[in-house]
Order: sequence, then C-alpha cells, then structure tokens
Amino acid sequence: MDGANLIGITSKRQFLSATDLIVERHAEVETPAIGLKRTSIEGTPAEEEELKNAYANLRRQLSARRIERQAGRAVAHWHEDQQAAEVLRKDGKFESFGYSKQGKLYLEYYEALFLLELNRLQLEYCEMIVSVEQAYVLLLGEAASEKFNNYLVYSTLSRAGYIVVKHQANTTTSTSTAAVVTSEHCIWALLDEALGHKPVPAHIKASSLYKATKERWSEVKQQIMSHQTTTLEDDNSLDFKFETRKRKAQSQPQEQSKRICRDKPTKSLVNHLKAEPSFKKFQEIFEKLDIIQLQLTDDDSEMNKELRHFKISFDLHLHNEGFRRSAPKSPTFSVVILPTDEPFPTHDELLQCWRQQLSHAVPLLVISVSESKQIQAFLYYIS
Amino acid sequence: MEFVPHFKRKRSNSKDKIKIAPFPLCAEGQRGYQGVFTGLCVEVVDTEQARIRTLHDNGCYGKGSCSRGGPVSGEADETLLLGLEEACLLTFFLEVLEIRDVLGNVMDWNSYMQAALEYDKDFPYKLAAYLYLKSKNWIIKSGIKFGGDFLIYKHGPREFHASFLVLVQTPAENIHSHYAAKNLKGVQRVAETSDKDVLVLSVNQFPDFEPKLATPTTLQSLTIQETVIRRFNYSAFVQTKQTK
Repeated sequence: MDGANLIGITSKRQFLSATDLIVERHAEVETPAIGLKRTSIEGTPAEEEELKNAYANLRRQLSARRIERQAGRAVAHWHEDQQAAEVLRKDGKFESFGYSKQGKLYLEYYEALFLLELNRLQLEYCEMIVSVEQAYVLLLGEAASEKFNNYLVYSTLSRAGYIVVKHQANTTTSTSTAAVVTSEHCIWALLDEALGHKPVPAHIKASSLYKATKERWSEVKQQIMSHQTTTLEDDNSLDFKFETRKRKAQSQPQEQSKRICRDKPTKSLVNHLKAEPSFKKFQEIFEKLDIIQLQLTDDDSEMNKELRHFKISFDLHLHNEGFRRSAPKSPTFSVVILPTDEPFPTHDELLQCWRQQLSHAVPLLVISVSESKQIQAFLYYIS
Repeated sequence: MEFVPHFKRKRSNSKDKIKIAPFPLCAEGQRGYQGVFTGLCVEVVDTEQARIRTLHDNGCYGKGSCSRGGPVSGEADETLLLGLEEACLLTFFLEVLEIRDVLGNVMDWNSYMQAALEYDKDFPYKLAAYLYLKSKNWIIKSGIKFGGDFLIYKHGPREFHASFLVLVQTPAENIHSHYAAKNLKGVQRVAETSDKDVLVLSVNQFPDFEPKLATPTTLQSLTIQETVIRRFNYSAFVQTKQTK
C-alpha cells in the first residue's frame, strides 16, 4: 500500500483530559477588586482605560468554556404564551418548585432560571436548548421590569436556604373562607388584635358582622372591667409581668376612674420603662405629661391619605418544617420587594400591606434591592 | 415576632452611680432655676439655691457648657445648656424654670413658642414627640450625634446605652424624607454600631391644627405612630433554624 490510500481522521471534537476537566470546572470567576469603591464617573482617560480593561476581563471570563455535568438535568419546555416552563422530565426532588395545572407541572420563570443556573434544568424553546444567556432574555424579558428584582431576590433567598414560593394570596381555599366571614372570625381577629398586636385583616373588617361584633366586644370588655376594678390595668396592657407587680400597690380609686374614661389600648413599643420603680414614684407627674396619645390603628381616617401600594411577592418557608407544595403551612415570612429608588413603606403603608394578607400572623420582610444589586432585609415593628 | 428593645448596660464604676429621680422638683410654687433663651438653647446659671448639677442629675437635662455631659468640669462660670424641648418641659409643665429673653423679659408660652419656631419650624411636633416619650419614663437627649432627633435611654446615659435613636416624622409635605432608602439605611448603620434601634415617630394632626398657635391644649389633638425598622440577617436566621 502506498501513502495515497491513507485516510487521515481528525476528530471534530476535542476531548479534555481528566485533569483539564477538573481545572476548568472550578475556574475562579471573580473580577479583581483593588482600591476604594468609587461611586461616580470622573471621565478621565485613565478611568476609561480601566473600564475598558474591566469590561474585557469580564467578557473573557464570561465567554470562557464552562464545564458542567450533563446528567441529572430535568427537562422543561418554555411556553411563551403562559410565561411558564412545562416540566417534561423530572430529575431529582421538585418538592419546592413549580405548580401543577391540569396534571402537568409548570415552573415559574424565576424557578426555571434558577434551576438552569444551577445546571439542574435543560430548558427547551422551539425545539432548541436554551443557553443561560438566552434564558435571561427569554425568561426575564429584554425591557427592564420587576422580574429582574424578583429573580434576584428569589435566587438569593433560595441560596441562603429558604424555600421561596409565590405569595399565596388568592388560592381557592382562602378566597372561599374570605367569602364567608362569620362572627367567630371577627372575634378571633379582635382577640388577635388586642392580645397579639396584629392588625385586623381587611376582609374581616369589610364584613358587615365586624362592626356589630366589635360593639359587643367593647360592651363585654366594659362589663368585665367595671366588675373587677382592681384588675383594670390588665386590660390595658400587654405586659402582664409588670402589671401584676404594680397592681399590688395600686389602690387609689381616683386613679382608676381616670383610666376608664381614657380606655385606650396601649400597644406602644416603648412602654417598657413604666415598670420601673421611678415611674411608680412619680406617676402623677408622668400622667400629667401624658397628653399625646398613640394613634389607634383601627382609625380608618388615616386610610384616606395617599398611600403607595406594596405587593407581597413571595412566601418564605423553612426546610426543616416539612414544607409540602400541595398543602403549604403558614409561611415564616412574607416578602415585599422594595425597588432601588423607592422609599421604605411608612407606618400606614405597611399596615395596609399587612392587612391584605389573609393569614395576618405572618411577619412581613421588606427586602430592598440596592443599586449594586445587593439585597438587604428589614423587619418592621409597628404600634 | 415579638419586639424587645435593647437595654445595654454601660461598664461604669459603682462610685459614680447616683440615685436619680426623673424630675428635678422645687418647693411648691417656686421656680428655682433661671434661664436665658439665647436663640439656640436655654442657658441656666448656677446659683447657691439652685445648683445646675442637681437639675442635670435628676433626669439628665441639658449639657454643661464646659463638659462633655453634665456640668462636672468644676469651672466657676459653667452654665447648663438646655435644649428647647427640655426647657419647655421644665418651664411650662414641671414649672421649675423661668425663661427670660436676652433683654431680661420673662417669656410666656406664646413668646417662647414664637422664638422656638424661628429656630426650628417643626418645634411643636418635636415637643409632642418629646412629651410622648417623657411620659413613658425615658431619659431623652439630643440625637444629633447619631443623625436623629433624640436618643432615649433607660436610666440615663451614665448607666445604659441609648435604646433608640428617634426620628420625628412631621406631617409636613415631604412625608418620605425619613423613609428614603439611603437615609434610613444610613441612620440604621450608625445606630446599630451601639445596639440601638431606629424608632420613627410619625406625628399626625387634624387639618385644623396650626403649629404656630400650638398650646398645651391643642397639642393634645396630635397623635403618634411608632415604627421600628430593624435590619434582618436572613442568612443567619435560616442557619440557626436549621441547626435546631
């Protein structure tokens, strides 16, 4: 045989050795951060050069080949019209992801993107596999929208270890209970308000029974109070420990009659120092100064003000509390996302937001997204 | 989640612990202290009958003109500088102080109010917030060093760190000034360095309330809403829950 008959075979693919695979799989992708943080553009040539280098560096890192395992991916198909990804093949546990509709499992856009980023999902669209870069445009849209913040918060909180699900406000079960508010609901809501420092939810307030129940409630309360004048203080306060201590010394009838006519709930957050001996000693002077009162949360006149509306986006559950998608328990937190330039909710705005929940026992977590896409959580305590 | 305020005790020598009362009291019908309204504050001079040290020690009112806190420098001409709200409380509610203007005329409520409004247009609202907190047994100092309106203490700055940095939200046009993200996060970070909470007191008024003509009676129509906003470490929270 001569050389003319030889056929050279060159592989179209390149195969990496095992060592290369390991090295490339764990490539460090961090932009170098040197010097102080700068907040405004100066426009100097040196700065432009630096920016150009930074962008080039970023591009180089982003366009580097990444190596991931192909096995262990679920497969889903993106439905543009429904804005949801239908899961075609499950792989792994899907307990805290997606929702079922007509026997099919769908993923929300943020869930699909999150799983895609973690290499647990192969997303297909028009018979093609969607790349990560394409997925960003496809799932979040090209125009700026709240979807970016939603995804950012979703992925950060999921990585932190929460089960993040869409806020369950209008599920069928809860709307049906909302439709029939019995006087029992009203009483529980009032009890919660008086003892547990929780505002009455809007759907109970709107009920025709609420007003009647509330009137009876205050009647009964008045009756109980006038029977047992010595325990009068207890009705006005949340802090039992200090009241029992104080009650022993308290026996001036004049003082009590004053309390009755005032009859205000003291749900203040700064009442703690009334337990101090100095308060008892100078009680008369303190009461003389007590001319400005806490605004009652029940007062609806405040609602006439122009309030911004804050939407509850997500519910947070903890992993070790036995979360089940089909029957979610009361979440640990509900999340309100605050866009970058939005001022924080005020007292009334937060109260309004709180009231739109059906299960008002859940604390609200206000999550602010900063300019640099950092997220920070805040808890409110209101009087 | 239940709200519990921070009470952080200061490391202090036992010898300078003084039993203090929340109010300096004079004999019935006597205004023992004499103050002069300077336009910025009310300056009280030390006299044999009425020691400014006593005024400061009973409720921590004012600041010594030659000292960091109370008038302890020992200088002969040291005076006690009272904030406008403090002076108002001592004069018109506790009646232990008499305020004169720089010309020596005694100031009544109206003239004091006018003068205070020139210095601070929100004075009636701040006074309302001050009285609100005072009636709940807090020791109140100026919050300027932490970027707020008041700092409130249990027992006073000698024994405790301040529990709250108080911001007074007046019903003025710019309702969101304290709630702007960068402002709120700013004061929060400052307050957190010494375990304080940021307490926003929103003062609400009826439409007919006229701050320029406020009297102790009309002040009663004001109401207050309390808001505490705390930063919440969500990742630490989830980790402590998981290890349980």
